[in-house]
Amino acid sequence: MDALASYTGLEFAKWVLAPGKWAALRVSSFWDRYVYFVGLREENDSLRATLAEASQELALLRERAAEAERLARILTIRPPVGWSRQGARIVSHRLGPNAALETVLLDKGILDGLKVNTPVTGPDGVIGRILRLSPTAATVLLVTDPNSRIPVTSQKNRTQGILKGEGANREMVVQYVSLGAPLEEGELLVTSGLEEIFPKGLPVARVTEVGRKGPSLFQTVYAEPLFDARRLEEVALLAKLTEEGHGPDPAVPSGAGGNQDQAAEMDPVSHSPSTKVVPPDPSGRAPGLEPPRPGVTPGAERKKPPRSGQ
Amino acid sequence: MNVSAIVFWSLFTLTGIWLQGLIPGVDFLAPGLILCLQEEKWTVSAWLGLAWLFIQEGTGSLAFGTGLLWYGALVGLYYFGHWLFEAKNFLFMFILGLCLGVLHLILSHMMAVLQDWTLPADRILVEGLLQALIFPVEWGLVYLIYNHLPDNPHAV
Repeated sequence: MDALASYTGLEFAKWVLAPGKWAALRVSSFWDRYVYFVGLREENDSLRATLAEASQELALLRERAAEAERLARILTIRPPVGWSRQGARIVSHRLGPNAALETVLLDKGILDGLKVNTPVTGPDGVIGRILRLSPTAATVLLVTDPNSRIPVTSQKNRTQGILKGEGANREMVVQYVSLGAPLEEGELLVTSGLEEIFPKGLPVARVTEVGRKGPSLFQTVYAEPLFDARRLEEVALLAKLTEEGHGPDPAVPSGAGGNQDQAAEMDPVSHSPSTKVVPPDPSGRAPGLEPPRPGVTPGAERKKPPRSGQ
Repeated sequence: MNVSAIVFWSLFTLTGIWLQGLIPGVDFLAPGLILCLQEEKWTVSAWLGLAWLFIQEGTGSLAFGTGLLWYGALVGLYYFGHWLFEAKNFLFMFILGLCLGVLHLILSHMMAVLQDWTLPADRILVEGLLQALIFPVEWGLVYLIYNHLPDNPHAV
């Protein structure tokens, strides 16, 4: 009887319970898988979001790294003795229908102690000077503008001339270089400081061609600027220190006295250089930029701009 | 002036300044002045025109007065022209754009001579052409947007 009960009752119970258990296991397994896939999907979504955030952060950090590199190059500009340096960002280039001159707009102005004719330099050399001011913005006249004229001296042969812009993306011209004056192609042109606006010895351009045209009493000299205006983002502003040597005095309005202020009063576009000579840098070194890094020549990375009339 | 018009003109001014930064030498606010003369009270046009005049004079490098001549001539041409043409006609706007393009050449050259400056003629010519092309297109665009404003009684 015991065996019969085992063969019947137990077997029956097994057949009754087993399919239910199988079904329960299947359902449970299906549910587990479903929950697992839901979790997997959620995890996937979460990972995708994290990846997107990380990509954004990476792009931001790359941008900051590039900015830090540019700012570090700006910091290599060593202000000459008696001058201070402050950085500024370029907000815009020429703006509006009345923007006839080659200019850029900076995010600093009168409140930062700037004056008309404040020199503006980049990592490689002179960019221009302040043309117009507002409390927190300034317009810079670029050296490449046809109305910009800067007295320059060649760094090696000390030949003097007037560097004149010819417009955006065009080579500049060095005027009034005597026929016998020595000047070499590739020679760096630096500010002579005669106009009392720029400190003496700042690099401005590089000579690309020296020649003679027609019966002129002067040589025909072309030079290329040391910056690309379209790629400029940050610049350095140079200001003369006060007698105490604690930076420019913003309380002194331009034209309130002194030769520098007289220079600041001059029209920054059409001024003519004065004959007063600025004393040389007592340190004996050319002020302005740090020596170029090995293998890096100022302005050498730029494409050669075309000449006016070509 | 209702709220949506204030928002419209504020956004128009901001966008115009941004576009002027992108395409130098072109006035993106001038079509707005014409639209304002067509759609708003004269006091609104006067205030907006004054604000835009200061923006153009402040951002420009030519001597003060160029913007005054520029907008003065534009308003004069508009009032003269709308006697001859339908004021909201695209052809009229196209002619006005051409006149502005030529005016850009004349004004730039005149102010450069007066200030003893040298300006690259090819660049001024390109700017004049761009001004002539952009003016009617922009006017048409802002005209459509303005007439789709929710509070506009003439809303399409």
